[in-house]
Amino acid sequence: MEAPPVSVLPITGGTINMMEYLLQGSVLDQALESLLHRLRGLCDNMEPETFADHELVYLLKGQQGNPFLLRARRSLSHPTVPWHLRYLGQPEVGDKSRHALVRNCVDVATSHSLPDFLNEMGFRMDHEFVAKGHIFRRGVLKVVVSKLSRILVPGNTENTEPLSLSYLVELSVLVPAGQDTMSEDMRSFAEQLKPLVHLEKIDPKRHM
Amino acid sequence: MQQREEKLLEASVESLISRVAHLKNALHSFIYKLENEYERLTWPSVLDNFALLSGQLNTINKLLRNEKTPSFRQQVIIPLLLSPDRDEELAKLTEQRVPVFSHEIVPDHLRTKPDPEVEEQEKQLSAEAARIGPEVAQKQIQTLNKLCSNLLEKLNNPRDDRDAESAAIRQNKPSFNTADTNALVAAVGFGKGLSKCRPPGPVAPGHPGQGPMMSGGPTLQQVTIGGGSGQQQGMGPGAPQQQGQPGKMPSNIKTNIKAASSMHPYNR
Repeated sequence: MEAPPVSVLPITGGTINMMEYLLQGSVLDQALESLLHRLRGLCDNMEPETFADHELVYLLKGQQGNPFLLRARRSLSHPTVPWHLRYLGQPEVGDKSRHALVRNCVDVATSHSLPDFLNEMGFRMDHEFVAKGHIFRRGVLKVVVSKLSRILVPGNTENTEPLSLSYLVELSVLVPAGQDTMSEDMRSFAEQLKPLVHLEKIDPKRHM
Repeated sequence: MQQREEKLLEASVESLISRVAHLKNALHSFIYKLENEYERLTWPSVLDNFALLSGQLNTINKLLRNEKTPSFRQQVIIPLLLSPDRDEELAKLTEQRVPVFSHEIVPDHLRTKPDPEVEEQEKQLSAEAARIGPEVAQKQIQTLNKLCSNLLEKLNNPRDDRDAESAAIRQNKPSFNTADTNALVAAVGFGKGLSKCRPPGPVAPGHPGQGPMMSGGPTLQQVTIGGGSGQQQGMGPGAPQQQGQPGKMPSNIKTNIKAASSMHPYNR
């Protein structure tokens, strides 16, 4: 079930269909420092930002095949900040030469009653994890270096265990649908991070 | 004939003296610099000084090797008069370094053989060289030559050789692991490895607590939500604590919810 087309979105919302371009890679813990140094040099000059987020993924299973997936994210370091709800569509299988994974993206900020609301709507939480790391910006490009941790006791974000010995590195851009100029910029930025990290278009369905 | 030789000898001695004087001055200034200005001294200027000294030694060598220069080895210096008295002339000539031409300075200044210790070492070295025999010596010479030429080659060759080597070294210490990348992407993409109903591993202590709730849950969940999967069963008890209670509530209104699930309001 895909997001409704632009024409049936409420007029008050007036959101433009945004596409997210994504490149992913990972870096081992021991190489993290060198990656952060390099990013600090390559990206915009700003105070290094760290974040700690708790993400819950909600599924709505209809009778037809694909469940509808929504991601709810809250900040562990800033508990009063609104929750962030995100929908990510299926990756666009268009241009094979496009270097990044492109998918439809809808983002909204919500109040703290989001989990209850989703449960009432019929969504059920499929999985949750904690992501802690650093975020960098270069123009519109966003680089997120995060350590994913598994939550051992549901609901308890203190008790976590890292998922692997690596940090996930994601390079993403949000652009309005129709603009296709970003993939070249992303590719050249990704080149600059080699050979520390290989950022590439990874199709999540391949690893199902 | 002899006059010509004498003139030649004099001329060559004169030039040798001037060259040596230059060398002495260079050494003097270098030592002064090292002793007094060592804080401000940079390595390139030290190298410059060494280069100057080496150049001057080279010219002296060239002068000595010149065919016009008579062989100094054949000349003999014999002190004719030694006196313990101070000699002003000599002192002036030698810039106050040799004020007295006495029997103390003669062994040092008129020496033709090397120092006794140096002589000892030389004797040892030549004995060693004689001991190992000519073939071994030849082999050693060849190895040394090969090493030197290898080193020179490495230093002189263009950068792509060096890049290949450094790339090889870098590959031994990879900074990322593709398997990890895939695992992380799968985890973020659809929760692989994060789902509640996971094979018991390090999370075993957490599971028994969920066990009783899970066994009560399935029958209800299967009725209330059509097509429930294994993952789905875990969701109810997996959700935060407060939802453990609502998980049991559907039992009262199960027929209503069953009907609702068949015509989901958000279906299109």
